[in-house]
Amino acid sequence: MENMTVILFLCSTVPMIPALYLMPDKRSRLFLGYMLLGMVVCLIASEVNTVLLQWFGGDMAYVNTNITPIAEEFMKALPVLYFALCFSDHRDTLISISYAMGIGFALLENMVILTANVGKVTIIWALVRGFGAARMHSACTALVGNGISYVRKRRKLFYCGTFSLLIAAVIAHALFNTLIQSQYREFAFVAVVTMYFPQGIKLARQILKKKGAKI
Amino acid sequence: MNTLVVENLAILLCASIGFFSGFRYLKNRKTLYASMIVLGVGCILLGRLFQCVRLLTGGSITETFQVGILGTMGAFSFFFSSNYGQFDSLVDNGSGTFLKYRLISLIAPACVAAMYAQVVFSPAKTPFKIGCGLACVVIAAACYFHLKHLLIPDAEYGIVRCLRQYNATALCLAVLSVLELVAMAQGIEWLLIASGIGLGAVSLLLIPTMDRGVKAWRT
Repeated sequence: MENMTVILFLCSTVPMIPALYLMPDKRSRLFLGYMLLGMVVCLIASEVNTVLLQWFGGDMAYVNTNITPIAEEFMKALPVLYFALCFSDHRDTLISISYAMGIGFALLENMVILTANVGKVTIIWALVRGFGAARMHSACTALVGNGISYVRKRRKLFYCGTFSLLIAAVIAHALFNTLIQSQYREFAFVAVVTMYFPQGIKLARQILKKKGAKI
Repeated sequence: MNTLVVENLAILLCASIGFFSGFRYLKNRKTLYASMIVLGVGCILLGRLFQCVRLLTGGSITETFQVGILGTMGAFSFFFSSNYGQFDSLVDNGSGTFLKYRLISLIAPACVAAMYAQVVFSPAKTPFKIGCGLACVVIAAACYFHLKHLLIPDAEYGIVRCLRQYNATALCLAVLSVLELVAMAQGIEWLLIASGIGLGAVSLLLIPTMDRGVKAWRT
């Protein structure tokens, strides 16, 4: 059997590529483009992780909780840094593309894990992975994107700030991986769901504000 | 529960209180200096949370490199960034007048290096020593600025005086963090308990001292 990760990658990205040229809106194209890049990074990360696993003597639990978060967060930050250096360091744009990167990455990662455990997966698993991994990957990349926005404005802050935010993202990622692999995996879901609260409250406030304005 | 779990849980609790007491700085985004210090305490919180989870799920934090140590690195990286990127240019114009203070401040990284030597010559495993070494590099860099801003005289704005208490507290945090690594490497239980109590107290005090300093600076 050929490499299933590559097959999944092709199946999911190829239909999206024509849309990049057909979409009239520049922002949508950028978002979709970075989502695709997130999937490319996930494909590269899967190969890098295989090498790392061999280096650390095949200790899957240790590598997944301590090594892959470092490699993955670093790889996800690079395309965002490239955009900030070559095109724009506008904070909101960087955070948007960071989210797109995270979502793309989580999408392919979920598909790879699904095909590897096809006999065991349930709807609950799909919900946990869907909400959990997508939120975790996108929030971690957005955190780093926030620091990268200083790349042209304040160099001194950019170097140390981005490094610090990258570390914060790595720990959050490692924490999620540790919980999801342990007997307390429900806590991983609870932790990630609580990350939706601030945006939920913000959205509810906006809706209430709009309703108030109409009345 | 063993000493490491209790110690990490206590520091986690103190760092959580400290972080949430300074959360308003992250919301208004006006004082970047303070925001970075709050994020630093947030890194301590995350690192300790990871270490607690790792210990409670049957893992070890002293046998090999683990991501929890990055929490200390991240915290001191934020403190370094706030001092080097934001504050230092206001108090040191790079002239020869302050050369004496720059040189004296090198004592802090030298002390960190001396304490790290205790980790190097300990029976701990190499990956753990490497992790500690990486953390000590960042701690040493942050320590240099904390000591410098503690000693350097106020040029004109009077801001150094406002933040002296904070810098002294952060310096204590640095020393205690390295002592904790030494205690873990050498397996000295009393030092682990003492540094744990100290780290908890300092994590709790860091934001209030910074808060007081920033308020005095702005008025």
